[in-house]
Amino acid sequence: MTSQEPASAIIEIDRVSQVFQTSARKDHLALSDISLTIEEGAFVSILGPSGCGKSTLLYIVGGFVNPTSGAAKMKGRAITGPGPDRGPVFQEFALFPWKTVLGNVMYGPRQQGVRTAEAEAQGRALIEMVGLKGFENFYPKELSGGMKQRVALARTLAYHPEVLLMDEPFGALDAHTRTRLQNDLLNIWERDRKTVLFVTHSVDEAVFLSDKVVMMSKSPGRIRQVIDIDLPRPRRRNELLLDPRYQKYVVNIERMFDESDEAGAPT
Amino acid sequence: MMSPAVLTRRAAPVLACIGLLAVWQIASLALKNDSFPTAVEAVRAIPDILGDKESLTNILDSLRRMAIGFGVAVLVSIPLGLLMGRSRTVAAFFNPLLMVIYPVPKAALMPIIMLWLGVGDVTKTLVIFLGVSLPVIYHSFEGAKAVEEKMLWSGAAMGLSPAQRLVRIVLPAALPEILTGCRTGLVLALITMITSEMIARQSGAGNILFNALDMGQYDTVFAMIIIVGAMGICLDAIFERIRARLVRWSEPQFDMPLSFS
Ligand SMILES: Nc1ncnc2c1ncn2[C@@H]1O[C@H](COP(=O)(O)OP(=O)(O)O)[C@@H](O)[C@H]1O
Ligand SMILES: [Mg+2]
Repeated sequence: MTSQEPASAIIEIDRVSQVFQTSARKDHLALSDISLTIEEGAFVSILGPSGCGKSTLLYIVGGFVNPTSGAAKMKGRAITGPGPDRGPVFQEFALFPWKTVLGNVMYGPRQQGVRTAEAEAQGRALIEMVGLKGFENFYPKELSGGMKQRVALARTLAYHPEVLLMDEPFGALDAHTRTRLQNDLLNIWERDRKTVLFVTHSVDEAVFLSDKVVMMSKSPGRIRQVIDIDLPRPRRRNELLLDPRYQKYVVNIERMFDESDEAGAPT
Repeated sequence: MMSPAVLTRRAAPVLACIGLLAVWQIASLALKNDSFPTAVEAVRAIPDILGDKESLTNILDSLRRMAIGFGVAVLVSIPLGLLMGRSRTVAAFFNPLLMVIYPVPKAALMPIIMLWLGVGDVTKTLVIFLGVSLPVIYHSFEGAKAVEEKMLWSGAAMGLSPAQRLVRIVLPAALPEILTGCRTGLVLALITMITSEMIARQSGAGNILFNALDMGQYDTVFAMIIIVGAMGICLDAIFERIRARLVRWSEPQFDMPLSFS
């Protein structure tokens, strides 16, 4: 385990366990004794096979789910519910379908009392930043999956959360769109270096994006290993794919998953 | 310029009405029955009814009761249905109650209501209210239940309180379903309106209709049926226009092709 004591921890997860009641009335241990510290400004990926509790862990940090035991803290304060300091981006987009692209992006700031004119100006700038200029007045149903996820990202960035919580945000997209969104996310992130907690089951994606990869295993969901990704930034996809250091990270992580158990291998 | 497809769609209801009247006319001429006037006779009686001050007052009374019954029902049922859809406690309390009320024909409750509240406006409006409430509650309930959890979470992360989430996320997200319930409710309002006036005869469109029946004025009976039917069609058409405008964001973008060949 590589764990240096962080000077500026923003999120601390302290011995969190989560038990779900299954329909067969049996207790299912989804997360077992998870402890993790996330430093301010870090891009941290949670990587593991489907069903290992990645989403649950993210929901606990978001305050959407209360852990059965243990606690999560944000800047030293116990997390008791959702708040605008932690902005989620879901795989399902979860856009407001009755609002246009601009309406969706303005929703958070308006809720926080930003004046309409100001919220609109900032909204338009964000929409341009995520590459959707010209689509301001479209409704979500008129957009492709990739465009919807861009709107969802802009909608969350609009209210300036300190931490972005992304749950397999590109999981529902085709390979080409996914690559483009990964690049754009990195560009945006390298500009303002918000803390990002990013859930994925793709090894490439985790290594490409992250400063730190948290490997999880399944049944019960545990942290297997935390790996620092020591690759230079800004990262360019075409350079990185040829970089032996990048390749080594990917191969090593894949091997570790293969060794553990046949059920645990992520794809 | 309207495309042929749009033209056909616009003209279809008119053609359907003309067709119906034509069939009626032919059937009536063929049967030669006193209690079955021709379409032309019935249509001719319409201006007499609408020109008569007392009849017009009766019809307007009906419409007023219907509007109040429908309006109050919608105002009560939508919040109740939405709360039931998002709170298990509220649902557990009201569901059994509604399950008992649901299959009972609301008009069958009228004798009791009449006994308590008389044969006036209150009784009739209450029956309309009951008739409209159930479909609106049911559809609001189903609509609220179907709202995606992650949408509510997104709102919560933006700082919306539970009450704000109900009004500003659950309500708009469930609106297509709610309005489907309201449309059913509107037709039921018309039905319960006439039924209530049939049972508690005193005023209203139903009253004119059944009085005319008693007196053997069959062209008036059929004219009233046309008037009530036209009211229903107009109200539904107006409502459908409003509905379509409110939920344009949710309508499917493409027609289902009838064949791909
Ligand atoms: N609300 C719930 N009720 C019961 N079981 C759940 C619930 N949410 C998740 N689980 C179970 O917990 C485990 C972890 O789920 P999840 O966090 O979604 O995993 P991942 O995101 O890694 O695929 C799974 O076995 C899943 O079936
Ligand atoms: Mg998941």
